[in-house]
Amino acid sequence: MERILRSSFFFAFFIFYASIADAQEELIPTDSSAFHNFLFLQEEIPNLSLRYFIADNQDSTSFAEQSGWALTDSGLVFSSISDLKLARSLEQDFQAKSLPYQTQYLVFSEVLSFKATRQYVVNLVNSSDFLVRTEEVIPSEDIVSLASYAHYTPLEQFKLRFVRDYKLLVVTIIIVFFFVVAISMISFMLLMKARKNKREHLLAEYDQMIVDPLTSLLFEKELQEIIDLDQVTLNEYFSASIVSKPIFKEVMIDRIIGLNKKMKGDFKEKLKALYRKLDLDKISIQALNHSNWDRVAMGLVQINEMDLVEALPKVKDHTNSSNFHVRSQAVATVLNLSERVDLTFLRDQTYPLSLWQQMNYLRIIRFVNHQKKLNLEILFESTNPSIRIFGYRLVKTLGRVDLIDVLATLVDRVSPEEKVEILEIYGALGAHMEVNFVNECLCSEDQNLMLTAAKTASVIGNADSIRILIELIDSEADLRRKQVLMKSLFDLDAQSFDRFYASGEDFEMKKIKDHILDPLLQYV
Amino acid sequence: MYNFLFFLILEIFGWLFLALSFSVIVIYLILMALSALEMRDYLRKNRFADYGDIITSPIAPGVSILAPAYNEATNIVQNVQSLLSLHYGKFEVIVINDGSKDDTLEKLIQFFDLEESKYNYIAEIETKQVKGVYKSKNMSYRRLTVIDKENGGKADALNSGINIANLEILACIDVDCILSSESISRMVRPFMEETNRKVIAVGGVIGIANNCDVLDGTVTTYRVPDSELGKFQVIEYFRAFLMGRMAWSRINGLILISGAFGFFRKDLVRAVGGYFPKTVGEDMELVVRMRRYMEEHKIPYKVGFVPDPLCWTEVPESDEILSRQRNRWIRGTIETLQLHQSLKLNPKYGLMGIVSYPFWSIFEKSAPILETLGVLYTLLLLMIGDFSAVYFFSLLVMMYFLSLLVSSFSVLYEQISFNNYKDKKDLRRLIWMIITEPFTVHPKIVFWGLQGHFDFIKGKGGWGSMIRTGFKKAEDKKKISPQITSQ
Repeated sequence: MERILRSSFFFAFFIFYASIADAQEELIPTDSSAFHNFLFLQEEIPNLSLRYFIADNQDSTSFAEQSGWALTDSGLVFSSISDLKLARSLEQDFQAKSLPYQTQYLVFSEVLSFKATRQYVVNLVNSSDFLVRTEEVIPSEDIVSLASYAHYTPLEQFKLRFVRDYKLLVVTIIIVFFFVVAISMISFMLLMKARKNKREHLLAEYDQMIVDPLTSLLFEKELQEIIDLDQVTLNEYFSASIVSKPIFKEVMIDRIIGLNKKMKGDFKEKLKALYRKLDLDKISIQALNHSNWDRVAMGLVQINEMDLVEALPKVKDHTNSSNFHVRSQAVATVLNLSERVDLTFLRDQTYPLSLWQQMNYLRIIRFVNHQKKLNLEILFESTNPSIRIFGYRLVKTLGRVDLIDVLATLVDRVSPEEKVEILEIYGALGAHMEVNFVNECLCSEDQNLMLTAAKTASVIGNADSIRILIELIDSEADLRRKQVLMKSLFDLDAQSFDRFYASGEDFEMKKIKDHILDPLLQYV
Repeated sequence: MYNFLFFLILEIFGWLFLALSFSVIVIYLILMALSALEMRDYLRKNRFADYGDIITSPIAPGVSILAPAYNEATNIVQNVQSLLSLHYGKFEVIVINDGSKDDTLEKLIQFFDLEESKYNYIAEIETKQVKGVYKSKNMSYRRLTVIDKENGGKADALNSGINIANLEILACIDVDCILSSESISRMVRPFMEETNRKVIAVGGVIGIANNCDVLDGTVTTYRVPDSELGKFQVIEYFRAFLMGRMAWSRINGLILISGAFGFFRKDLVRAVGGYFPKTVGEDMELVVRMRRYMEEHKIPYKVGFVPDPLCWTEVPESDEILSRQRNRWIRGTIETLQLHQSLKLNPKYGLMGIVSYPFWSIFEKSAPILETLGVLYTLLLLMIGDFSAVYFFSLLVMMYFLSLLVSSFSVLYEQISFNNYKDKKDLRRLIWMIITEPFTVHPKIVFWGLQGHFDFIKGKGGWGSMIRTGFKKAEDKKKISPQITSQ
């Protein structure tokens, strides 16, 4: 690639130079008569002169006596003329007298043909030893009036240096560009830093102002008293002029939510009542309409923490948001605040669930599960595979043995990935009645499914499982998989394991067996 | 004719240097803007992340921490204890004693009550011979596994760890690094968040621990190192991690994850054959190979980056050791780029082939050569009398200001994002370093880079030795005798 670029550059360079030379050369006519006129126009060309010659005939002797002409053996010869302007007037004179003259081109006093003479002129032009003169254009209009149309532009020597010198111009442009961008970036960063410092200072200051009144309210007032607080009494705790400031409200929200997370029982209720009393709930709900996703997500967090159930319809609008964080917070809020936990909205989610989201929802659902019966089976109907998988994981984590029958009806039509999840449920919940499915999966071509089935078989397997495992161990070439299978067999039936592999001579099998039997490695 | 060619070549070089200067400016400005956007987004997202759940969640992936150790007897017990106390639910610590000549293994055996097990070591990735796998009889240390093997270098040691790792994510670290207790949960998050692309690796920031106070595995007080080289490296690490890698992460063009602190998906690492032990740039080479694998199999993927300060290490503060480190880095870069030449400007490899590879070739690998050529070019112009003071000083001033801009931007950036260096005196010292660095330390770095190129041409391999002076304060440094930790 580099070579091609380099070659292209040189090629382009030479083409460029060659084209300049060609342009000059084109001014020299190839036609002999035009060339002759071209020479007159030049007035003088170094080492080129013209000589006139009249062949020997009867009339020629009459010219011999005229000035400039000399008689030779072959005829009359006029002395060589390097002043081509003079040559032109001479020729005009000859033509007026109808002289039968011929023109000879002398280069370095040597007679050359027309072609050779032309080539000489071309060489002079190409080597920049001679500049071609062209015919002057005689304007048909008055030159002064023509000049009035053309604006004055100075010649090179009068231009600014950096405009004339293109390299310096490029450097100057780069420097200017650089300084503009650099100064903007540094100014922006400094501005950010200053704003951040100011904000941090204000946050710390307001936080100090909030702590004491908040503590007094929480410890001195009962819940009903807080609910019944009028504006005047409230202003005794928090001055109206400060409460109206957005940063103060922000600090107040953070402080109340922070306390709410740490406190329990009646204090939680008091904090929630105070949150509403200070109209902070309105700020949280308004944030849901904000154009910045982080403000919306923060509003959702606040609604979730302060149990603002009235905002639920608006929150539900965000459960299928294209923004990952908004969607996650909205789902978490709906799960937490809904009176009747209907997972339909989760089933209908079109975006795939990440592990991070699953982890967060799992925590909430675990908590909600203690209070309400969840219709997890609705998730198995989702068209979104990640939601179905999450549903299976919920069954396993929440220990929903009642759903094993439902799962058993699904196993024939689910993907291998989902079968893996179902096997894990069977293993975790000890679903011995589903051992046939486990044995079926043990025979699967899918390696991952087969290995998961082996692990499940180690918990709920039967005699068939033992037989399949032994067959698999014998046929398995991969040592890592063989080890998993042997471990499953050992966990399922140590006696069978001993019977088949205790006295094995195979070195690899012996190593696996030693590994499985080593008490130091039982947690690996 | 020759005269014409000579001046033509000079002219071409003049334009090339001008183009290079311009592209350096544009690229660094773009990197600054991209990193700022990425950091803004990261900080915003971080407000909604609750790392408390991940420690106990059954959904969180398991992490195998791989820590190769070579002649680490002095601090090995303390380091392993620190690793075992990380806050995470599902993790194991695999320490690989890479043929240490000191009593690293004996100290581990003695302190952690280890016993050689009958571990069935399956060399899926070929390594030097594993002499034994040790487990503790004490249940408190059930997460710990120690591999004793013949010396084969860091990559070989890591490969043996990869062979026995049981969990989904591999955390490859330097055993002497200080890890924050939250490091695993924060680094695992990108693996858990992505839905449309597979996160194949996640890199983290390495902080400089020289002269800092460390308490319970976390740097509690940040202080700028006393030495000039130490201060230079603080700024350099800001530039590299907070600016460079954040920017590359923004466009998913990251091809280097520090070997001292990187997280990888185990199944993929095994699929690509683990670390390549014949290069000194094994960390970069692995990431490039993993990315190649994903591109060739047309699987959407991402290499993530976490800018939180989670890992700290001691950096070399002497010319001798730093020169060896830089020499090794440049050789590692050259080797990796040579090994993967087919990526060069190859659209089949997407952004990695079109942008990352050329960037690394020109601005990382060739930087010392180009800078030296620039100096020689200037000298030549001076000799032939074609030197233009206007151009020279314009470019010099511009490049100097670029250096100031980039460095001060990264320091400001750290101040806005994390604000770890709170002492104003430290900030003043960093600013002074930013001003003087282009004239004091930078020429040395260029020279060591050139030496790296020269050594690569000579076919030199190996790591050289690294003298550690120990963490904490200056007094502590005196107590710790020099020790060789990596080969």
